This record gives sequence, C-alpha cells and structure tokens, in this order.
Amino acid sequence: MGIPAVVDQLRKIAGRDAVLDRPEDLMLYEYDGGVRKRTPAAVVFPQTTDHVSQIMKLASSARFPVVARGAGTGLSGGAISPEGGVVVAFARMNRILEVDPENMRAVVQPGVVNQTLSDNVAHLGLYFAPDPSSQKACTIGGNVAENSGGPHTLMHGVTVNHVTGVTVVLPSGEVVRFGGKAAECGGYDLTGFFVGSEGTIGIVTEITVKLLRRPERVATLLAIFETIDDGARTVSAITAAGITPAALEMLDGWTLRAVEAACHAGYPLDAGAVLLIELEGLAEQVEEQAEAVREVCVQQKAREVRRAKDEAERALLWKGRKNAFAALGRLAPSYYSQDGVVPRTKIPAVLKFIGGIAEKYGLRIGNIFHAGDGNLHPLILFDPRDPHQLELVQQAARDILEYCVSVGGSITGEHGVGLEKRDLMPLLFTDQDLDVMLSLRNAFNAEGVLNPGKLFPTTRMCAETRGASRNPVLAAEGM
Amino acid sequence: MSATATSLDVVRELRAICGEEYVVEVTDKPANIHEDPNREIAARFFEHSFLVATPASTEEVSAILRLANERSVGIFPVGGRTNCYPPPRNSTHVVLSTSRLTEVEHYDPADLTVGVGAGMTLTRLNEIVGADQLMFAADPPYPERATVGGLLATASHGPMRHGYGGVRDFCIGVRFVTGDGRRAKGGGRVVKNVAGYDLMKLLIGSYGTLAVITSASFKLFPAPRQTKTFLAEFASAAEALKFRDLILHSPLSPMCLELVSPGARKLMRPEMTSDAWVICVRAAGSYAVLARYRKELGSAVTRELEGEKENLLWRKIEDCGLWDCIDVTVPTSEVAGVLGALDDAVSKGVAEYAALGRIGLGHVRVVTDIGDFGGPSPTTTLISCLRDRFQKKISLTVVTRGVNPWPITAPHPASMRAVKQALDPNNVLRGREIF
Repeated sequence: MGIPAVVDQLRKIAGRDAVLDRPEDLMLYEYDGGVRKRTPAAVVFPQTTDHVSQIMKLASSARFPVVARGAGTGLSGGAISPEGGVVVAFARMNRILEVDPENMRAVVQPGVVNQTLSDNVAHLGLYFAPDPSSQKACTIGGNVAENSGGPHTLMHGVTVNHVTGVTVVLPSGEVVRFGGKAAECGGYDLTGFFVGSEGTIGIVTEITVKLLRRPERVATLLAIFETIDDGARTVSAITAAGITPAALEMLDGWTLRAVEAACHAGYPLDAGAVLLIELEGLAEQVEEQAEAVREVCVQQKAREVRRAKDEAERALLWKGRKNAFAALGRLAPSYYSQDGVVPRTKIPAVLKFIGGIAEKYGLRIGNIFHAGDGNLHPLILFDPRDPHQLELVQQAARDILEYCVSVGGSITGEHGVGLEKRDLMPLLFTDQDLDVMLSLRNAFNAEGVLNPGKLFPTTRMCAETRGASRNPVLAAEGM
Repeated sequence: MSATATSLDVVRELRAICGEEYVVEVTDKPANIHEDPNREIAARFFEHSFLVATPASTEEVSAILRLANERSVGIFPVGGRTNCYPPPRNSTHVVLSTSRLTEVEHYDPADLTVGVGAGMTLTRLNEIVGADQLMFAADPPYPERATVGGLLATASHGPMRHGYGGVRDFCIGVRFVTGDGRRAKGGGRVVKNVAGYDLMKLLIGSYGTLAVITSASFKLFPAPRQTKTFLAEFASAAEALKFRDLILHSPLSPMCLELVSPGARKLMRPEMTSDAWVICVRAAGSYAVLARYRKELGSAVTRELEGEKENLLWRKIEDCGLWDCIDVTVPTSEVAGVLGALDDAVSKGVAEYAALGRIGLGHVRVVTDIGDFGGPSPTTTLISCLRDRFQKKISLTVVTRGVNPWPITAPHPASMRAVKQALDPNNVLRGREIF
C-alpha cells in the first residue's frame, strides 16, 4: 500500500482532520530534543484506544513502521520516524480520566502533560513525582516510554516507580491491560517491563500513576563553592552523612553564569560551582537535615550556604536549574546533551575528565546535572551548520560515555537509548545480553513495525532481524 | 527426581559440570527444618527425594541449563527454600540450588550500592553492609535462610516495604542465565540507569520460570540510628482502618505500617487472649521526630516499644505464617472489603483466621493453617468469599503461597506466555506448571 492509500485509511480511522501529510506540516514532526532529524510520511492523531488499535492493525497488514510521539521533547531521538514511517501523535489523547485521591492514583491518557497532572491534583495536596526539566511540555506517555527522571527522582525514583498499570496496544492491534491501581498484580511484572521500553513493545493508551502527598516542609539550599572539585566531593559527603535529599543538583561556574544572565535566579557569578539541595518531609526532620547539610557543606569548603526564604525564592532557584538548557541556547546555535551516569564517588574524576575532553576537542562543555544520583548532563555547545563540529561533538560525547562505563556507570540515566546511543549499547552489554533483549522485543514486535531502529545497535539489527533485506519495515531497522 | 530415576548419563554430566560432591540425591531433611515453626508443611518438600545440583558459578549454571535443554530435563531453581513451592510429586525436575553463589561482586559503601551472588542470605548481606551503618531494606520472612535470589524470584517482602518500597524499587542490576542457557544481564551498578530493557522488573516475581538469577546489585539505605514502634489497639477492623487513613493523610512517613488481626496476634503469641486489632507504626528519627509521631498518633497509642522488644515484635510479624497463606493485594480503599470477606468465610465455617499486612499499600496476608478450621479447605472458602465480594469490580490479586505462586487471575496470560517462550522456549524451568 502506497503512502496516499495509507493516509486515506488513517483518515477513515481517526477522522479527516486527524492526519497530516503535507510537507510543511510534516516538518514539525521531523525532530525531537536531540540532534537527529527525519521527516515522517504522515502524522495521525488518534482520539481513542480503538483508533490506536486500528492504526496498528493497518500498519501490521500494510507493513509501514510506526512511532509514537508525545511532545517531542525527548533527548535520544526516540520519537524520530524511520523512513516511510507514520507518527502516532498523542496531542488529542490528553485527558485525565480519573483522579482517585483515596487510593492516591490517577488514570491518564498518554498525551497529558506531566505538569498538568500535578496542577490538576494540587488542590488535593497531591502531585506526580517524576519531574523532567521539560515537565511543562513533556507528556506522561513519553515519560513512560523513556522511563523519565528529573531532579526529585533522587528521593522518589523514576517513572517506573510511579506507574502501577498500563493499557497497551500491541503491534497486532490487540489491546492488553497490565497492572491496575493496586501496588502489585502478581504474575510477571509486565507493567514494569513495559515502562522504559522506548516504544518498541507496544503503544500505551492509558496509564495508572501513583500520586504523592505534598510534603509538610521543603527546604531549598544553595551551597556555593570556589572550585568544582569541592562541590563534587560534597555530593558523596552528604550521602555519607546518611542524608538522602529530595534533590541534589550541581551547576559548574561557567554554566551558572550563563544561566544567571538568562534567568536572574540569584546565582553567584564568581563561584566555581553551586549545589542546589532540596530536603523535604516532616518539619522537624527537614530542619535537622538542613542543619546537617549546611555543616557538611561548610566542612567541604563551601563559601556560603543560602536557604530560600520563601516559595518565591525557591521557585526562582529552580527556574534557573530547569531553564538551564534553554539558557545555554544564548551562547551557541545548538547543544548536544548526554546523560551518562557514574557512581557518586566518581563525580570529581569524571568532571576532570570532561574538562580534559573540552580542551582536547576545543569545545565548550557546561555541566549541570543530577549530582545526587551521579547522572551527568554535559552540554556540548556547537553549530550544527558545521558538519565537522557535529562530528567532533559526537566523538567527545562518546569519549565521555566510554569513561562513564569504564568507572562502573551507564550510558543513560533518564533520556533513553533511542537513536542517539543505540550504537553505544555494546559498551555496556554483551552480544548475549542484547540477544536476550532482542528476543523479548521480538516476542511482542517480531516484524519491527513499532519504532524500528531504536535501542539496539545497527549492526545487530541488520544481522539478526529475519528477512531484513526483503521487508521494507525491517529495512528501516538500520535507518 | 531421584538420582536413580535420572538417566545416569545426565547425572554423570551434571557431576562433570559441578563436581562429584555437588550433585547429590537429597533424601533426608536439613537439620534446621526441626526449628521451622511450620515444619510439618516444610517437610512436605522433602518427603520425596530430589537430585540437587549446586553450581559454583554462572558458567556452571549455564552449562546445567544447556544440558537440561539438550536432554529435556526440567530444572527447579531454589534459594533458601523459605518461600518456594515443591516440584510436583513425581516430577522430573532436578533442583538447582544457588547456595554456592555467595560472592560479593562489588560493595561501594560511599555510593550506597552492593552486588552479591544470588545465594547470599539476607542476614549475611545485612552483616556486611551493617558494618558501615547501611541497610539492605528488604525484610522478608526467615532472613537467616532467605537468599537474595529467592527474594527477587518471589518478590517477597516484609513490613519495611511500606517505607522503602519493594525489591523492584531498589534492585539496580541483575545477572542471570535464561532457561535456554544464555548468560545475560540487565541494569548495572549505578542507582539511575535506563539503558536497555528493565530486565530486573521482568525477573522479579517470576518464580524462577524465566531464568536462574545468579547475582544482583542493589541500592542501600542509611541504617536508621534510632527507631520507635507505636502500637494502637482497636475493638474492630473498621476502627483500625480509620486510624490507618489518619496516618496516610498525615505528614508522617513511617518505616512500617502494619495491621495485626486478633488471630495473627494469637499466632505470634499463643498466650494472648485479647481480641483487639492492632496497628503497628514504626518510625525512625531523632527524639524530636519521634515526639512528633507520638503527638500526631494521639491517644490511640497504647504502647511504645524500643530496642530488643521492638525488634522482637517486628521479627514475629515478618515471620508470621509464611507457609500455606494467601497474599491479597487490592487498592488501599478495598482493604475493608478483604477483611469483610474473611468474616464471610468465618460464617461459612472457617473457624478462625489470622490476617496481617502492609495495609498502607493494600496488602493483606491471611494465614489459613492455624487452629481448628471447620471446613476441609479454608483457603478455597476464603478465595471464594473474596471473589463473591469483589466480583469483577476491581482487580484482585490473590497469591496462594505454598500451593501455587500465581495470582488467581494472571494479568495477561498470552503476554506471559510470549515472554516465557522468548527466554525458556523448551519449558525447562519449572516446566509448564505455571501456565
């Protein structure tokens, strides 16, 4: 079936106004938050689970690849379409279906924006814990696909720790339900397995999430250090003191100056690094911990430890952190962000290494990251119009991730593998590890209709996907 | 399967893999079974003899599974056998014990992470990390015998699940051998990691049907420096649940929040005559924090426990009635319905029941092998009463431990079968018994 016929069928399923196929419209769907691009053949906006089911049946029979898309804020190329692919966009499935305060659960459609859910349950004293920096735009469906994190996942865990049930459309079009409102469901934990599967197993159309009660007290501290090394050492010193902050973020001096210029968050312009530390819980506990953290910071040579006086000051400090990526946009046409992870005690060493890489390749690299769980975000500035620069940037990123793995870390803490890091998977996983993962993908998505070419290394896909050369869908695996 | 019933070739090959002394026919009961409070039921496991292979490495586990696939031999993995289900009588399974997989793969106290072999007991693990004032935050029954691998395979839990989450929340990596003999891993050694599929989630609670877990890595927690337990007694379950709701809606975040029914109290302390329902709240923190708990919990608190007495209470709760019990999990608002169904069962002839559980999470464990039950099968009566009450209104997960590890209705059998087929295509691990 050719693209015009596919578009025709999609319109029959989802409605005449629910399909885009003009080049000027499709351009808006050719990128996400990463650096790769590809224009899809069409974009369809389902409004019901049944629409998604019919779309998948059509895709499986007409053999075109499908990729689900939330808000396109992902940073690993997970929502980039393969050649000839159809994007299933969830902008019209954005309803909060149920809020159940008694059981502290909400049931949402995948297109609900992360922040919108928290805003809608705020009057009940509840919120949804995963808080990616893009939370004003990113969708909960996207959070489920990528198993997204955020600053406060240090205390509360990533998306998988907050999802108890999912309704999923499999590539065959079959609609299945895993889990529910209960804390556990017995049998294989297919909900847990599905979260973070990057759209390669099925498409989620309903999500049951946990809601948390807002803490009685929150203390937000800004610890200011002369050197990045002092700040880095403080991270493990806080952990060693037996304190688990709700969030523990680090900005290096260069980055915080750029952020301050853009956001006026009140960050010191002459510091080597700052730590943004948030504590939450029972008032008595938070006050004790705030004092203990202050002492640790001073012991580790903090020049000053400030505490946000009120909610407005707290919001300002967080505004600086959450808008940091955008702030760096003032300094260069583009940036490449990685999210390697290292054991917390290796943070001083990895920051030194990144400094060396910046020098080696002549690149500017800012560091703003989730220090508490060792999840780095080196932001490499570059001009995408210069192909040589892009090449250097990717090589620098690869060097950094190789280093992370060499000290016992990972290539991604919360952004996912997608397209960007698929060829780095062998740094972490053996052929047999990948073979086991591929056999699980094939248990649900053997023909590769769903999000082909993601998560698994290119070489693996070409070599091991049955009939790749003859099957147009599978040919896209190599992308 | 007895050694005599197993093909001598297979026995010889197993011995070539593990060593002569590590492939033995087990016919007698282990020494400690006599100390087991549920020894009669535990003994059933050993009533018929099995061939037990005890590999020393992941390579040996893989070799055993490859051999099992070639020779169509069933494998039944076990850890400390505190929470496992005997292979069916006359089954042809070889028991694969993880008891020699006890090495520490990595221990990074400053990073709060540890990785250990699947056969390490939880007591041993807590001894290692306790030296650095850290804690492995799972407290399932019988920690002296329960192993890391068994904990993962059965998704077992204890009272601390309320405050620290289940093992799915703090297992950060797993190494395993699939049913078809492939050695693989998921996750890693760092606390945040989304590279590849989350195979930890898939294996946790899979009861050894997909793979043999050989080692795993975990997040650790700082051990609380001071704790206190507050007990509140109530004349009825309804009043106890009201108190639970008060706690759940308060700013308090206790380590443990457990319900103990009058029957469970008697099971733990046979001399007990009180008919009160008890809510046990365990809190950690400074004097100021504990004083705040006391204030918030109010006049309902009748006793406060610290030190040895406190530890003893929680051990009794952890160990209460592991064998032959059913675990019910519902949304928290439906716990009252579960307790109502237990009363229905009493009116249908079940003489008495013991219930306890993490009611802040909707979990209730019902022990059915106490006292003089009226009917021949109290478990069946209980399940039928639960079904009558809930019908299809909500998803009700009932796991009948000691009989069958799977819920009365599997979440999606076809998807479970697809996963099983992907990792254990020849049904070597525990065969087809679960489906």
